[in-house]
Amino acid sequence: MNGVLDRARTAMVGIEQVEARGVNAVISYDRDTLLEQARRVARDRVDGPLAGLVFGIKDNICTLEYPTTCASRILEGYRSPYEATAVTRIKQAGGLIACKTNLDEFAMGSSTELSAYGRTKHPEDPDRVAGGSSGGSVALVAAGAVDAALGSETGGSVRQPAAFCGVVGIKPSYGRVSRYGLVAFASSLDQIGVTARSVELAARVVSAISGRDRNDATSADRDQLALGPPPGDLSGVTIGIPVEYFPHDLDNGVRAACDHAIGSLRESGATVRQVSLPHTALAIPAYYIIAPAEASSNLARYDGVRYGLRMTSQGGDVASMYRATRGAGFGTEVRRRIIVGTYVLSSGYYEAYYRKALRARWLITDDFRRVFSEVDLLFAPTTPTPAFKAGEKLDDPVAMYLCDVFVAPTNLAWLPAITIPVGRSRGLPVGAQFIAPRFEEGEMIAAAAVLAGLVDAQEEFG
Amino acid sequence: MTGVSRDEIERIARLAALDVDSEALSVLTEQIAEILDYVSQLEMVDTGVGLADSVWLGEDQPQPLRADETRSLDAAANPASFAPEFEDNLIVVPMLGAIEDV
Repeated sequence: MNGVLDRARTAMVGIEQVEARGVNAVISYDRDTLLEQARRVARDRVDGPLAGLVFGIKDNICTLEYPTTCASRILEGYRSPYEATAVTRIKQAGGLIACKTNLDEFAMGSSTELSAYGRTKHPEDPDRVAGGSSGGSVALVAAGAVDAALGSETGGSVRQPAAFCGVVGIKPSYGRVSRYGLVAFASSLDQIGVTARSVELAARVVSAISGRDRNDATSADRDQLALGPPPGDLSGVTIGIPVEYFPHDLDNGVRAACDHAIGSLRESGATVRQVSLPHTALAIPAYYIIAPAEASSNLARYDGVRYGLRMTSQGGDVASMYRATRGAGFGTEVRRRIIVGTYVLSSGYYEAYYRKALRARWLITDDFRRVFSEVDLLFAPTTPTPAFKAGEKLDDPVAMYLCDVFVAPTNLAWLPAITIPVGRSRGLPVGAQFIAPRFEEGEMIAAAAVLAGLVDAQEEFG
Repeated sequence: MTGVSRDEIERIARLAALDVDSEALSVLTEQIAEILDYVSQLEMVDTGVGLADSVWLGEDQPQPLRADETRSLDAAANPASFAPEFEDNLIVVPMLGAIEDV
């Protein structure tokens, strides 16, 4: 089992090289901690499906080996007394936890520029963003430093950076993977996701961490996801192409790469037909009411008493200390979302905003239900453009939110999705996604594996 | 543009227990007004009586409920091993009336 130690040492070199390049994908990392895990796996001859594979873990997922900061000043140095079920299952399957990765603070962002630990750079172009909020996990995988990484999705935060960085990202169905130990942002949307450089490995990791968990009341009462061998072709599979995901202002290179991939799907035997999801345009407005509303409640626990930072207040009373701590501990975007969330839930605005958003969520979900009575899977671009320049959208929150226009609807509807690289536009990776009915990850992963074997992710379309 | 005032954002920030300085408050007011303006396109959504306003779970997917029972903390270590102070089986935190300097 020296192979395990060799893999750990290789990962150490990779992580340190990536960080030396200034990618800033890592928040916590320790050589000895990684080597100790590798020695234990070798000594105990752990022979699970992830034996010897090296992982990065997004720093909003609790681990025992490292602090869990959520990239926020308010949780600086916080160590969880327990670890996430997904992390436990990776370790039981023989995986090694190498480091905690950078993210937008509390997973609120689409570029990993909004971290108290500085922005994560795109591994191919330091002037561009890696995407977010799981930008650290994805950048580390894309740079080849770790085999796979855990991220989290509330509104597309694994698939969007995976598309920007040219790797695979899977968002499982809500309830497929336990949320125990994932720091809550918006509990009705949050789900742990996986990124890796191949469909096969990403799927293997999702399978290993999936299944019911008594510690998470929202985990589905289902066995571990079973994966079969990939099919030779897509005969008998009907794939819908939602017209709303191909707007007039879609990046030309993204459109061309997706069109080429659709041609490959047809050649592999799939029946491809156009479908409509007419309420897609409501997804971002609904998301940016529901997610902040839930966040304003979930983040109320950071009050300077139970966790991390505590600031002295001028008033000297407890309420002043709460306000001083939260005002200083949270970054700009988190404060913005807490205020929006409090506003839409406050007396007089609940009906006008929150209730409308819940209804819009139902309409979006019903769109998916209707099309999945006609097709097996959906196929669409993951993002409207390739990775954008750093700083380009920082002063325009709505423009930043619209980066997630093709990924947020699946989170609202609790559906699984997978993005794979399908080409390049102006030299930058382009991702396209399959979306499946809830708990139909198997067919979705099989189709992605077939398509990944047919397209050249390095082909230029821009 | 949705009319949200600086005073209203200040009131909401106070409700959310957030100190926001004067300069940040002006920027926040402007940005939150833009966000509220953007999400106000949901006005067209009908919320009439009898319409569902919860996520569709599927006919065979009832919300799972955990048994209503108390059980021990599933921590990897005894709280005494990581608590700054531990007394009478309780974690001792600094007194709220004696706020330390940062």
